[in-house]
Amino acid sequence: MSNAAQQAFSLAGKTILVTGASSGLGQQIAISCAERGANLIVTGRDAARLQETHDRLVGAGHQQVLADLTSEGGRDHLVQVCANVDGVLHCAGKQKLCPVRQLTETVMTDMYSINFLAPLMLTQRLLQGNAIAQNGSIVFTLSIAAHIGTRGTGPYAAMKSALLGIIRCLALEVAKRGIRVNGISPSAVVTPMWDAGHLEDQKARHLLGLGEPQDVANAAVYLLADASRWVTGTSLVLDGGAVY
Amino acid sequence: MTAVDPFSLAGKRILVTGASSGIGRQVAISCAQMGAQVVASGRNAERLQSTFAQLQGDNHVQVVADLTRQDDLDRVVKESGIVNGVVHAAGITKLVPFRLISRQHMDDMFASNTFAPMLLTKGLLAKKRIAANGSILFISSIASHVGPMASGSYAASKAALLGVMRTLAREVAKQGMRANCIAPGYVRTPMLDDLGQAGGNMADLLTLAPLGLGEPEDVAYAAVFYMSDASRWITRNYFVVDGGLTVPMDIYA
Repeated sequence: MSNAAQQAFSLAGKTILVTGASSGLGQQIAISCAERGANLIVTGRDAARLQETHDRLVGAGHQQVLADLTSEGGRDHLVQVCANVDGVLHCAGKQKLCPVRQLTETVMTDMYSINFLAPLMLTQRLLQGNAIAQNGSIVFTLSIAAHIGTRGTGPYAAMKSALLGIIRCLALEVAKRGIRVNGISPSAVVTPMWDAGHLEDQKARHLLGLGEPQDVANAAVYLLADASRWVTGTSLVLDGGAVY
Repeated sequence: MTAVDPFSLAGKRILVTGASSGIGRQVAISCAQMGAQVVASGRNAERLQSTFAQLQGDNHVQVVADLTRQDDLDRVVKESGIVNGVVHAAGITKLVPFRLISRQHMDDMFASNTFAPMLLTKGLLAKKRIAANGSILFISSIASHVGPMASGSYAASKAALLGVMRTLAREVAKQGMRANCIAPGYVRTPMLDDLGQAGGNMADLLTLAPLGLGEPEDVAYAAVFYMSDASRWITRNYFVVDGGLTVPMDIYA
C-alpha cells in the first residue's frame, strides 16, 4: 500500500516514450522508468542495442520501434504505435565539437536535423494525433551547453538553446490540457558520447565529480512523474555544481 | 522497483523549518511519507503539534522556535541531532508600497527570510550537524521575477537566498554536501490567504499561471526530490516551480 507521496513519484500505469533508447542516457532513462512501473515504448536506430535496452526493462508489455527520427517516414512509423502516451522523453541526439570558423553547412544541417528538427516534429505529430494524454509530460534532453558558452560547442549549443525556446512556447500552448513541457540539462555524464580524455578534463571543474546516467534518469523520472505536475517551461540543470 | 529506491528518504533525518504552516507543513508531511525521520520546527506550538500529529512513522521530533532569536536557533541546532537534509521553509511576507517602506519592515523581512536560514545553516555546519552528502534547500520565491506591487522587501529578502546558496554550495562540496534553491510561484497556503485579505488581487493569481494555482504538495514533492539521493548530482541549482507563471514574463526565471 503506498501513500500520496510515494504515488506521486511512481510511474505505474503510465506509458512513456523514450527516444535515443539504444544508447547512453536514453537507455538508462528507459530502464529507470520501467523500474518505477512505467510501460515503455523505446525507440532508437541501432537494432541490436535497442534490443538490449528492451531486454533490460523490468515488467511486461514494453514495445520497441526501430526508427530514424530524422526522417518523416521514421517519425510516422513511430507515431503509429503511440496512443495515450503519458510521457515523452526526447533523448536522441548527437554532439559534435566544431569551432565556428571550421563549420560547414553540411555539419550544421546535420546538427539541426538530429538535435532540433527530429524531436520538435515528433512532438508535433504526437500532439496532432492527440497521442499525448491529459496531464502528460514532455521532456527534452538539452545540455548545459544550452545555458553556458563553451569554445567549439556552438552548433550543438545553438540547437539545444533552440529547444529551450520551444519548451517555453509549447509549455503555454499545451497547458490548458494540463500537459507540461520541460528540459533536463546535463553537464558531463559518463556515456559513450564522451571520450575518456574529455571526461578527465571535465572532472576537475565539477564540485561533485562527473555524473552517472542514473543521475540523469532520476531527474527524468521526477519530471515524468505526477510529483512535478506543476512544473512547466523550465529546464532542470544537472551539473554537479560545475564551476570555472 | 530496484533494491534501493533513489527517491526514498528512509534512513534520512530531515530538518524542516516553518513546519507549522503552508509549504513547510506539507514538506514535513511528504518527507515523512517518503520514510524520513523529521525534525519539525515552527513558531506556533499548537499548529506545529497539528503537523506533528500528521507525520507518518515514528521518532519524529518537534521544536517550537522563533528563528529570528539566536537562543531559539541554538536550541534547534542542539535538538536536530545529525541531519541528512534541511529544508528552510520558514518565511514571512507583508505588502508595503515602496514609499512606506521602513527600516523596521526591511529588518523584519530579512531577519525571517534571509538571516534566519543563513544563521541556522551556519549553526548546523559549525556544530557538524549536517551529515556528509547532506542536502540543504532554501525556499526562495518568484517574487523577484514577477516583481509584484508592494513586495520590494520580500522579493529582495528571497532573492538574496540565490546568492547565499551559490557560494554555500562551493564551500560545502568537499563534504559532498549540496545546496540548492526552489523558487515557488503562488501556492494555496495561509500566507496567500493573508495577502488576499491585505488587498492583493488573488483572483488574478489563481488564473494567471498556465497550470493554475499550486498546491503545497507541488512544492513539497520538489523538496522531496532535492532531499533524496535521486538529486545526488544537483547542486548550486535554482529551480522554479510555478505552474509556468514566469515563462512568458521574465528572462531571468
